[in-house]
Amino acid sequence: MSEPLETVGELAARLAAGATSARALVERSFERLDALDPALHAFLFTRREAALAEADASDARRARGERRSPLDGIPVALKDNIVQAGEPASCASRILAGYVSPFDATVVARLRAAGAVIVGRTNLDEFAMGSSTENSCAGPTRNPWDPSRSPGGSSGGSAAAVAAGIVPAAFGSDTGGSIRQPAALCGVVGMKPTYGRVSRFGLIAFASSLDQIGPFARTAADCALLLEAIAGHDPHDSTSLPEPAPDFSRALTGDVSGLTLGVLREADDQSGMTPGVHARVSEAVAELERAGAKVREVSLPHTRFGIAAYYLIATAEASSNLARYDGVRYGRRAADGAGGITALYERTRAEGFGAEVKRRILLGTYVLSAGYYDAYYRKAQQVRTLLRRDFDAAFEACDAIVLPTTPEAAFRLGEKSSDPLALYLADVFTVSANLAGLPGVSIPCGLDAGLPVGFQILGRPLEDATVLRIADAYQRRTEHHLARPPR
Amino acid sequence: MSAEFETVIGLEVHCQLRTRTKLFSAADVSYGDAPNHHVTAVCLALPGALPVLNDAAVELAARAALVTHCKLHGLSVFARKNYFYPDLPKGYQISQYEEPLATGGWLEIDTPAGGARRIGITRIHMEEDAGKSLHEAGDPETQIDLNRAGVPLVEIVSEPDLRSPEEAGAYLRKLRQLLRWVEASDADMEKGQLRCDANVSLRPRGETRLGTRTEIKNLNSFRFVEAAIRAEVARQAEVLGGGGRIQQATLGFEPERGRLFVMRLKENADDYRYFPDPDLIPLRLSEERIEHIRAALPELPDERERRFSGELGLAAADARTLVASRALADWFESAARAHGNAKHVANWVLRDVLAALKERDAELEAVRLAPEGFAALLRLVDAGRVTARSARSLLGELLFAGGDPEALVRERGLEAVSDAGALEAAVEEVLAANAKAVASFAAGDAKSLNFLMGQVMRRTGGKADPARVRELLAERLARR
Amino acid sequence: MSRISRAEVERIAHLARLRLEPAEADEARRRLEAILDYVAQLEAVDTRGVQATTSVIPLATPTRDDVPGELLAPEVAVANAPSARGSAFTVPRVLDDEAEG
Repeated sequence: MSEPLETVGELAARLAAGATSARALVERSFERLDALDPALHAFLFTRREAALAEADASDARRARGERRSPLDGIPVALKDNIVQAGEPASCASRILAGYVSPFDATVVARLRAAGAVIVGRTNLDEFAMGSSTENSCAGPTRNPWDPSRSPGGSSGGSAAAVAAGIVPAAFGSDTGGSIRQPAALCGVVGMKPTYGRVSRFGLIAFASSLDQIGPFARTAADCALLLEAIAGHDPHDSTSLPEPAPDFSRALTGDVSGLTLGVLREADDQSGMTPGVHARVSEAVAELERAGAKVREVSLPHTRFGIAAYYLIATAEASSNLARYDGVRYGRRAADGAGGITALYERTRAEGFGAEVKRRILLGTYVLSAGYYDAYYRKAQQVRTLLRRDFDAAFEACDAIVLPTTPEAAFRLGEKSSDPLALYLADVFTVSANLAGLPGVSIPCGLDAGLPVGFQILGRPLEDATVLRIADAYQRRTEHHLARPPR
Repeated sequence: MSAEFETVIGLEVHCQLRTRTKLFSAADVSYGDAPNHHVTAVCLALPGALPVLNDAAVELAARAALVTHCKLHGLSVFARKNYFYPDLPKGYQISQYEEPLATGGWLEIDTPAGGARRIGITRIHMEEDAGKSLHEAGDPETQIDLNRAGVPLVEIVSEPDLRSPEEAGAYLRKLRQLLRWVEASDADMEKGQLRCDANVSLRPRGETRLGTRTEIKNLNSFRFVEAAIRAEVARQAEVLGGGGRIQQATLGFEPERGRLFVMRLKENADDYRYFPDPDLIPLRLSEERIEHIRAALPELPDERERRFSGELGLAAADARTLVASRALADWFESAARAHGNAKHVANWVLRDVLAALKERDAELEAVRLAPEGFAALLRLVDAGRVTARSARSLLGELLFAGGDPEALVRERGLEAVSDAGALEAAVEEVLAANAKAVASFAAGDAKSLNFLMGQVMRRTGGKADPARVRELLAERLARR
Repeated sequence: MSRISRAEVERIAHLARLRLEPAEADEARRRLEAILDYVAQLEAVDTRGVQATTSVIPLATPTRDDVPGELLAPEVAVANAPSARGSAFTVPRVLDDEAEG
């Protein structure tokens, strides 16, 4: 079997030099997919014929001296909640079985315009609700580092596809950590941009005020390239920021001197953090200090309320966003029976949604319902404001905040399923960035008992470039991102 | 109805805004087409679709608020109203809840008793329309058409200030006039562009607390609104009069039988779980924009009416009638300015033009004759070049087909006989041929003059100016 | 004292149009209660005078011009429908009393 694909940057250079072809790259992707995915289960759908045709078109362009972008001819994967025209979109849910989207997500349109070749659609927790990809109706994806373990979630498939070297880049969505956490557990780079930086048009909504699409890759430099292709204002998304996307690659100077990094005091309060994670993250901070960054402690006093606020807000929004899955205009509808339309809705949704999705819809409905709105939803949004103020204050004292991505490395499949809160609590380090709309990246920083550990860099709103610069500077000085799963 | 109860009515009006496209999607607004021929991914609530606000809808909604003297808020918030229904594709309607576009307005109606009353308007907010469910008799299925889903609406909620079905009708007519005046909506009830729900309750006279109310929905004409309210008031009075209590309910009205029926008993309030829509940014209207919209409003009906009676010297009732629609007011005023004598033009418009419109069941918008043309016609009459009667006979045609009055008069050979010689000759001939009538007149029978006049008019084919004829006859008879 | 009763779970399930078997409803109640117990810690946070975040973005309202855009062809509109007649979606006949709520 062929070697795992290198970085996007390296592949683009090889394509430009004529040392390889887009077709060769796509064929290699499928070779590895065919060999690894039956066990890995990262992919829900593939589009072999179309991808090869697009690869050939890319090669033809290159032969004419036209290159659309550094991504031209590069194989990538999409999380199965980012719609593509003419392709299925299932969100790993029975209720969308058979659904084919008639339109492209803006991100997809931009990727295709850039010449990227989409080879398939990856597994996720159903409707992006989960942190382990165990909530997929199609069964879990396995962690390439240890098949008995979860790759994290909800974008577990995309993280695994990159970690296993099937594709050099993939896209996922992050609502409470769903890109950063699987990136950490799979030993790859995963980035959540500033809220509004990347269009949500065509991202099947989970929680509208928290969701963002973002890239997975092996390096921060790759993420910069990927982000350039997809970021920027979209008139189809009212929450899309008006600012045009800067040249992120140009910001990767390798220089962090003059930057102050804030180390989160409250991270130490987290019981449940393994010594190994704690050690790797501390080492990462020390490395950045050696690179010239100043380090000081910062506090986000409301950190410990983040999970509660997150789960109230996210489920409330989700309960409303998922109301459209009623079997009327698309998706699976239950068989006809007694009770008219109301009963049909109830059966359709009961049969179509998995248990976790139903639980979250119930919680979200409750949180918004009369008599509880103020105590739960409004209260959570107020706490959210306080958390944002915490960040504003912290960013007076530092340019970026570093902290662990997860309290522990990859857990075993099935380990967390019975305790309703266990998985939720593991999101403690990631949800704040979504609540505050901040850019955040997770980077591999070593192993803990043979399993990848990631650390996070969070930046001020719209300082995605700074966040990537710090991550890239770290990767120029270390080699943790080069580690591959044993295989 | 017994004097012991007071009727309390509040109206909720939904009005379609006159935009080309929907509130949150770029699908065009259309009426009557085949199902789902005017939809986008957003209208269908496809996975991944997102709403983007139509700026023109904001403009028109703001006009509606200003013309009803509401306070336009600089910040209003779109909220989701969550419920399940097949014609509601997202499973929620994007509306406004705690922070609506406008609050605290009023409009004035004429009461049946003859006076004016201010009716308060609690709030105006923007929201999207739902699609349509089509049931055919005997069909076990319902068809869903989403062409209408997402069309921009304003919901206008009145205070419970109305005290009779007639006042309710007056309020609706006034509202319709105002909305059409500022071109916020065509407000055609038959096309469903204006829909009214009525909240009706009774309370003992002197009581300030509101009684239990019922809601009557799906009323689609002014007459039905009045009739339905009348029926409900009677029903409630009977229940209360008999010592019973009113049960909260949603009612429908069958116009053919004049009967109310229960659609739904409302034991519990619906739980719509409103929350601010996270896909949308709160609507910010700057002071500048509000002033700009206000400045761009045409002169409003009340001001126009005052100007018609003040500046143009028209009687109050006439001025009121002429502002029934902006089209009518504009047309009249242009004609009056072109002609010079506003009262004279007003008389003709009020009497003859309105009659012609009524005969065809048409609105002023159907008129093709330019106001200057109408003025020209009147000037022909003033100059005696055509009789008023001839002019009236041509009016229908001129109004609805347009044309040049002078040319048409000539074409039809309707020029008045005003040539003094021809007229005198006709008068002489008639006097000569009707010696008996001449004699009766001389004997004191004034009515013979009318007879003789009729004869002259016939002889001139109705083309002589009656006033001139009368003058000549009188003169000649006096000489005899 | 339980935070949420079985009856409330059923009311919520109806609002959300989710049919729950009795065992599911029990399980849901237990899990919801655990979560509500957890989120109760927010009560301790002093939020007097604090604005609720309605939008993380301090933007002027994005709008679009009133210009018709590209429509979905009617066949495409119903292409994913479980049940359609011509270009209309179909559902079992809806009775008036099923409207709303």
